[in-house]
Amino acid sequence: MATTMPSKAGYRRPRLRWLDVKEQLTGYLFILPAFTVITLFGLFPIGYAVYMSTFRWRVRKGNFVGLENYTKTLGDWQGVAVFIAGLILMIIAYWIWQNAFRSLDNRKLVVGALGSFVLLVAGWLTASGWGRMIAAGDKDFLESLPRTLYYAMGTVPAEIAMALVLAYLLYQKIHGQEFFRMLYFLPYITPVVATAVVFRTIFNSRETSLANQFLAFFGKEPQRWLFEPKPFNNVMFGMNLEGFWAGPSMALVSIIFFGIWTYVGYNTVIFLAGLGSIPSELYEAAEIDGANKWHSFRYITLPLLSPITFYLGLIAFIGTFKAFNHIYVMRVPSALGTVDVTSVTIFDTFYKANQYGYATAQAIILFFIILGLTLVQNKVFGERVFYG
Amino acid sequence: MADTMQTLQTQPLEKTRPHFDVRPVRVLIYLILIAGAVLAILPFFWMVSTSLMTLGETINKQWLPKAPQFSNYVEAWTEAKFSKYFLNSVIITTVTLAGLLTTSILAGYAFGRIKFIGRNVLFAILLSTMMIPESVTMIPNFLMIRGDIIPLPGLPGWGGSWLNHLPALTVPFMANAFSIFLLRQFFIQIPDELWDAARIDGAGHLRFLLQVVLPISKAPIMTVLLFSFIGSWNAFLWPLLVTTKPTWRPLMVGLWTFVSEAGPETQLLMAGAVITIFPILVLYFLTQKQFTEGIATTGLKG
Repeated sequence: MATTMPSKAGYRRPRLRWLDVKEQLTGYLFILPAFTVITLFGLFPIGYAVYMSTFRWRVRKGNFVGLENYTKTLGDWQGVAVFIAGLILMIIAYWIWQNAFRSLDNRKLVVGALGSFVLLVAGWLTASGWGRMIAAGDKDFLESLPRTLYYAMGTVPAEIAMALVLAYLLYQKIHGQEFFRMLYFLPYITPVVATAVVFRTIFNSRETSLANQFLAFFGKEPQRWLFEPKPFNNVMFGMNLEGFWAGPSMALVSIIFFGIWTYVGYNTVIFLAGLGSIPSELYEAAEIDGANKWHSFRYITLPLLSPITFYLGLIAFIGTFKAFNHIYVMRVPSALGTVDVTSVTIFDTFYKANQYGYATAQAIILFFIILGLTLVQNKVFGERVFYG
Repeated sequence: MADTMQTLQTQPLEKTRPHFDVRPVRVLIYLILIAGAVLAILPFFWMVSTSLMTLGETINKQWLPKAPQFSNYVEAWTEAKFSKYFLNSVIITTVTLAGLLTTSILAGYAFGRIKFIGRNVLFAILLSTMMIPESVTMIPNFLMIRGDIIPLPGLPGWGGSWLNHLPALTVPFMANAFSIFLLRQFFIQIPDELWDAARIDGAGHLRFLLQVVLPISKAPIMTVLLFSFIGSWNAFLWPLLVTTKPTWRPLMVGLWTFVSEAGPETQLLMAGAVITIFPILVLYFLTQKQFTEGIATTGLKG
């Protein structure tokens, strides 16, 4: 250690270089253990997954098949192209509309009509592209995608809106603020498998289950909840819609309730931290200018929280596309697969059907879907975020 | 220590509050907040209450057992092998955390305080692993654990595979980008004067890290520990894959297999759920503040 005395070493070049080399080596040595683990179990598997997805691989490696696993999953590449073109057109329609409402003159109507027309074409393209994919592709995988979308749309907006309300109320000089915060946070930290097991009994088809007792309290008939494959709209409101618009099954809605229950507290805690960082002078100034509570919430709190809202929305949305544990635990055979979101389907392909290469290809497709959705979300909502 | 931690946090919660005070409105606010709290705890209440019922009581429309049946816990603990799974989980979590802390403290220190060639590139690569979904890496990792890809070190009886052995459940989790990132953010803020002083006293990086940096980094290390404890204790998908026998099966997978074994005996299942949740609850109530504030600071999922 004495050789590295900096006072002398600073002047002589060879010494300095020795110090430098030693510094470099120490750096690499320090990151070596972490990088060994991460390379083996985090980086290498990505490349190996791509490799595996090009083979017929059932437990043991088989023949090289190129893109066949992907083709088998998606069905028809032209269908995929038409479908994606439709999605892009939808974004263009959205963009046209935004511009239409920005301009003030008469062209608004014309541009608006143009936007509607583009949207119509987009809808037709996605529908026909999807039809071609479903006809030739893997039904289990493809049909799991709208289910995943239902799950995402059912949980994310609800949990964020509820969290925002709770956080805002908690922030109003509330006695026992920390106590409430502690209780709200409880569902998030408890093991998902355990709470999902509890929800399995709460949303049981028994007449005495908690969910059915709740319905009985409002004079409603008991339901089968997690055991009910029929669409929620049909069961609760007697609606008879077809295809995508039929909406999630009763069983999936029960799982959506669980998802909301788990994440509201987490979002509340983050929102609370965000509320703390809004300077109180803004509220005081607004009050002097005669703003009421709604005004200051709408024009101060909401815009200043928008980066956090955006961040939470993004994380939650990606999270729902990866969600696995609680859905796996809460699915029962009588739900007839109506709760099998994409990650569950992939797991079944891998674990039950032992189709390793095929499952890997599906996982990679899921990754690209998540990536695409993240980019779109960034583009569409990212622009509305107010960064102060 | 408290001061340095403060700089990491966005703002203390109590600092600024708009003041509105209309009486009926406040009552309404409390009502909504209490309703939220009731909804948050109701499932827990249901779980504990059911776990103390007799089989007959679980079928009736009952909210509380007539006489609490603590024997349910004994039965779940012994007959459903929860004692074994519990011990497994404790060992798995301890070993994982020990490994994880060692690797992330060293790497976090290196990324924060040592200048070496390629540091930024390696750090970017590290962060990019956070975006890859588990379903992509799961299958290759499974093959890796089975020893199909590269030969794995192991004891004689293991036959070149880590399946159903302790390392399969611990080694893959002994480093992650999140922990390294969190510690690096803290280490980078430590004033250079401390390092200069240590160097003049003849200390190298390792001694500086052990004797100066670690004692002042208790707060971020605690945060990493808490997140990792939860992650490790609650892990389900991976342990489900790599434990086909009960030898090293952790509590979560044990609870899942118990779902089919317990069948209609809901009270035993709920007792099992309470057993799995209990350690997390104790930890949470002891470190509650650190927890919520740690999450608010990092804004990241554990």
